[in-house]
Amino acid sequence: VLVLELFVDLYDICEIFVPNVHTFFGLTVLESFGSVGSVCSLSFSPNFTIFPGTQGALSCNPSLGGVGKGHLVRELDALDGLCGRAGDWAGVHFSILNRSKGPAVWGPRAQLDRERYRQFIQSELLSTPRLTVLEGSVEELLVSQSNPNEPGHHRVTGICLVNGSQPILSSSVVLTTGTFLSGSLFMGQTTTPGGRIGDAPSCSGLSHTLRETLGLRVGRLKTGTPPRIVKESVELSLVQIQTPDKEPTPFSFLNTHTHCKPEEQLPCYLTHTTPGVERVVRESLHLNCHIQQDSKGPRYCPSIESRVLRFPGRQHQVWLEPEGLTSDLLYPQGLTMTMPPDLQLRLLREIPALHRAEIRTPGYGVHYDFVCPTQLNPSLQVKSTQGLFLAGQINGTTGYEEAAAQGLWAGVNAARAALSLPLLALCRTQSYIGVLIDDLVGRGVTEPYRMFTSRAEFRTSLRPDNADIRLTPRGFEEVGCVSLRRYKEAVRVRDSLQEGLAALKSVTLSSTRWREKLGNISLSESRNGSLNGLDLLQYKDVSFEMLAAIFPEHLSPYLEFSQRLNIEAVYRPHCEKQSREIERVQEEESLSLPPDMDYLSLPTSLSSEVRELLDRVRPNTLGAATRIPGMTPAAIVHLLHYVLRTAQRNQHTGQRVKAACKP
Amino acid sequence: MLLSTPWRLWRSAISTLKSLRPAPVRHLSIPTDAVCDADTIFALSSGHGRCGVAVVRVSGPASSMVLRNMTGLTQTLPPPRTALLRRITDPHTKELLDRGLVLWFPGPHSFTGEDSAEFHVHGGPAVITAVLQGLGSLKGVRPAEAGEFTRRAFHAGKLGLTEVEGLGDLIHAETEAQRRQALRQMDGELGHLYQDWSSRLKRCLAHVEAFIDFSEDELIEDGVLNQVDSSVHRLQTEIERHLGDERRGERLRNGVQVVIAGATNAGKSSLLNTLCQRPAAIVSPIPGTTRDVVEASLDIGGFPVLLSDTAGLRDGLDSVEREGVRRARQRVEQADLTLVVVDSTQLPTEPKQAPTFLQGYLSIVLPQPSGGNPEEGREATSDRVLLVLNKSDLVPEAQKERTERELRESLGLPPACFLSCHTTTGLGDFLAVLQSRVKTLCGNPLSGAPSLTQARHRAHLQQSVQALSQYHQYRNHDLALAAEGVRLALTHIGRITGRVGAEEILDIVFRDFCIGK
Repeated sequence: VLVLELFVDLYDICEIFVPNVHTFFGLTVLESFGSVGSVCSLSFSPNFTIFPGTQGALSCNPSLGGVGKGHLVRELDALDGLCGRAGDWAGVHFSILNRSKGPAVWGPRAQLDRERYRQFIQSELLSTPRLTVLEGSVEELLVSQSNPNEPGHHRVTGICLVNGSQPILSSSVVLTTGTFLSGSLFMGQTTTPGGRIGDAPSCSGLSHTLRETLGLRVGRLKTGTPPRIVKESVELSLVQIQTPDKEPTPFSFLNTHTHCKPEEQLPCYLTHTTPGVERVVRESLHLNCHIQQDSKGPRYCPSIESRVLRFPGRQHQVWLEPEGLTSDLLYPQGLTMTMPPDLQLRLLREIPALHRAEIRTPGYGVHYDFVCPTQLNPSLQVKSTQGLFLAGQINGTTGYEEAAAQGLWAGVNAARAALSLPLLALCRTQSYIGVLIDDLVGRGVTEPYRMFTSRAEFRTSLRPDNADIRLTPRGFEEVGCVSLRRYKEAVRVRDSLQEGLAALKSVTLSSTRWREKLGNISLSESRNGSLNGLDLLQYKDVSFEMLAAIFPEHLSPYLEFSQRLNIEAVYRPHCEKQSREIERVQEEESLSLPPDMDYLSLPTSLSSEVRELLDRVRPNTLGAATRIPGMTPAAIVHLLHYVLRTAQRNQHTGQRVKAACKP
Repeated sequence: MLLSTPWRLWRSAISTLKSLRPAPVRHLSIPTDAVCDADTIFALSSGHGRCGVAVVRVSGPASSMVLRNMTGLTQTLPPPRTALLRRITDPHTKELLDRGLVLWFPGPHSFTGEDSAEFHVHGGPAVITAVLQGLGSLKGVRPAEAGEFTRRAFHAGKLGLTEVEGLGDLIHAETEAQRRQALRQMDGELGHLYQDWSSRLKRCLAHVEAFIDFSEDELIEDGVLNQVDSSVHRLQTEIERHLGDERRGERLRNGVQVVIAGATNAGKSSLLNTLCQRPAAIVSPIPGTTRDVVEASLDIGGFPVLLSDTAGLRDGLDSVEREGVRRARQRVEQADLTLVVVDSTQLPTEPKQAPTFLQGYLSIVLPQPSGGNPEEGREATSDRVLLVLNKSDLVPEAQKERTERELRESLGLPPACFLSCHTTTGLGDFLAVLQSRVKTLCGNPLSGAPSLTQARHRAHLQQSVQALSQYHQYRNHDLALAAEGVRLALTHIGRITGRVGAEEILDIVFRDFCIGK
């Protein structure tokens, strides 16, 4: 079996690291299915900096995680992804954002040392059995007639490399083109083709194949990157210092501590824009092509130009982030700009702390093509093309963690497709990764998509603390991407938590007795009778440790999990409230709609408006259909009816995409 | 129900006239998801209007609790599927509401497969309203969404596939009726109130979400949460006051909405006056006399009807008339039944051409179904439209007869009645058709049953207030759970005003805050 996962990610270094991580998963999948002798190849762009000695001076911000994004990292780790462990190895500044806002929205985040991150990933990749790493730029995607037994009009057969003597054949290909698909760079009034400064533009063949041969709908988005500043030239006495957490919290469920010692961590710096910055932006507008373009940029990661124009007369935050332990550069987050380089310098110097600042590399903007992601299945396979998977910015997302999430899932399914196993979907009731993919393939994007906690309806249940329990067992038992070691650990944790909760429930005292034991705790008077340990943990002044001190024989075995038990006790009632709603969503998600359904001539009473809507969006499940704006309840019922009737008729023709949501 | 002389029908008519406040019609989306299957739901399952017996159905895990609380059966439940005569009382005040039959259907041997109960009470609106409000005041019990009983039955495997087909049609009818009803309600003061609450809650939620998702990286202005605190508090107080003060709520416009529409000078106001038996609207031979909507409440065969006369549809000459035409079109959009009035003297003298002429006329008067299935549209039209061919006394008898025959044979046209408001010829036949149509519409418990709607609103508002208290409970130590409270509250208000999605919240976040990466 020849399995090829092809990454053509030519974006920046971090970007490519993360998806690569998930190539690794595909391999793990192979291992766990024991497909002996399979050969995996990875292809990288010529300028890819996996080899030591090449500096990635143009990469995007050197950090991992954050609010929402941290959830994704934890979930990736729960599915045995690399980025969590890589972050723990490479992090130089760890902090949990939103610490005071409740565990459901905690955002684990780290500043990374780029060099260490690269080393970690590289050694993991190179020590992966049956993995071949190839270097080369992809010239062309090879497609042929589809396999008539499965839905789709085309089938991927492999790729051609630039200067490659012969094609590389493969039944699955994952495309991660980053910002390189018909990318163009903007700085001041100059525009050059390419996806990142210093790299050759990608071959037009790929873009042509996607549009013309495969007939995919393609849109255009923009993004940008700030200038990199020489650290020595910054007046650090004029900035606020942001210190990391005293005790770094690792991303990975497998790690108890981070590679970086607490006292070795680096600070971040905070400063603000001035009216002078606004003036420079306004004066340079006529010299700024990027900002005049009307393609969609992210609303939440705007350039300093669009910030100033949208919210004039304000101070804007600028974070100066370290690029690593030995790097002499600072990354000014919040100062993405696309004006000519001399004006960039003028702008920076309007900020007091940067009045002598030197720029190592100027900022610039990128415009690039993305494939409208409603053309994908929840497995991230292109609906019309068997074996072609897309992940990352090509699907209209922004950010490493979002790309990583898709990379993992595309990798898993690419490997499964190559092994003729049914493709899998993650449900939005179970994970942020599921929310992300469901939003993409169900609703599409109009601007670069970034994860927020407010996108998850079941935020109360989908917490960073319980990602292992939510995902690791399924990742091992059903998906096959999780190692035995991690699985055993997750099962141990899950069982211990259950026992711990039962133990808490078993310790009961009257409220008077609790008050005596706990001292100054205000327990509500209205509750008469006895209270158990779970009731007590509802009070924010009571912790598991305090209860364990009172009932050591019952509770001390679970002290290892005291924080998780505190959280479980508070959240459990709220999660139970949601559980019926979750079940209902899962029920609807488990009814899949055939991808090749001819909605326009379906023999059931649907209005032509609804037919066109369904034909355009092509929802994968009944649940996805209910979320299409403009869908009517009656249409859903007719659809449901049709699906059930058809399913009954062809009971044995299995669905290609198994929408497995049931835990 | 039919009475011998049509005039007796109108004797009891309560006539009120008022011109309507101008108000924008909001686009509503019907929620496609139910609140939660764990809830116990109730609904009036019989039609409304004056009927002998009304059946209120309850389904869900709390059904036995409901039965106990409403009937004082503290110890034992009635034997399954056996009618029992009981005093039905308010669950809190224990005030007697009615004496009626109660039935207990323990799951899975019930329509929905869940525990269910039925109350058969006297059919007066006061009794029904009292029972529905009593049910709505119980914890965990709420009014059913459109088609929810059937949906539950479906999920419990109680419906065969053939029955599902019927379910689709039922939900279609119900949601259509609900949509029209919602459009009407949202037009009034109450609608504005709900919309206002909804948009303020949306803002609150957006600001909390912005604080959660962005405050670590961004300059979220100080005091954003303090603003939310006071907004949530104000909202809570306002909704509670609204729930406590019965008089304040604007009465939902009661009854089947019948709208008279047509070209200018076709005799629409004459028809209104004829049906009201009094000169409610000014009639003159000058085209464009009626410029605003004129309303009259009538009782047709025991069913409440709100009759509206509208301005004649033409390209108005002045801004007042143009506004009148706009309101007329809006009314037709919201109507349960439209009486399209045609001046018979304008009919083609060749009867064979009459159907085509009338099709053209209808397409001008009625709102065009937007891209819908034309077959479906036509079917819906003939159910909800009556053609009134007025001034029949001015048409030769022979032409009239031949035209009538043509119209009967032509497909796709709504029923047509020749009528002369001047001589009252043909009025009896017309009233018989009108009455049967109104009766059919009333058979649908959802078209214009204000008590049911009010009970629904009350339940959602109460749950909304409850959810808001969760905000205060967690505000200082777990903002995620506090936000969940606001989100729940918004979901409940959203059940009245239309659904609110995550994207909408994010739009507010990005509009109100300067968010960077």
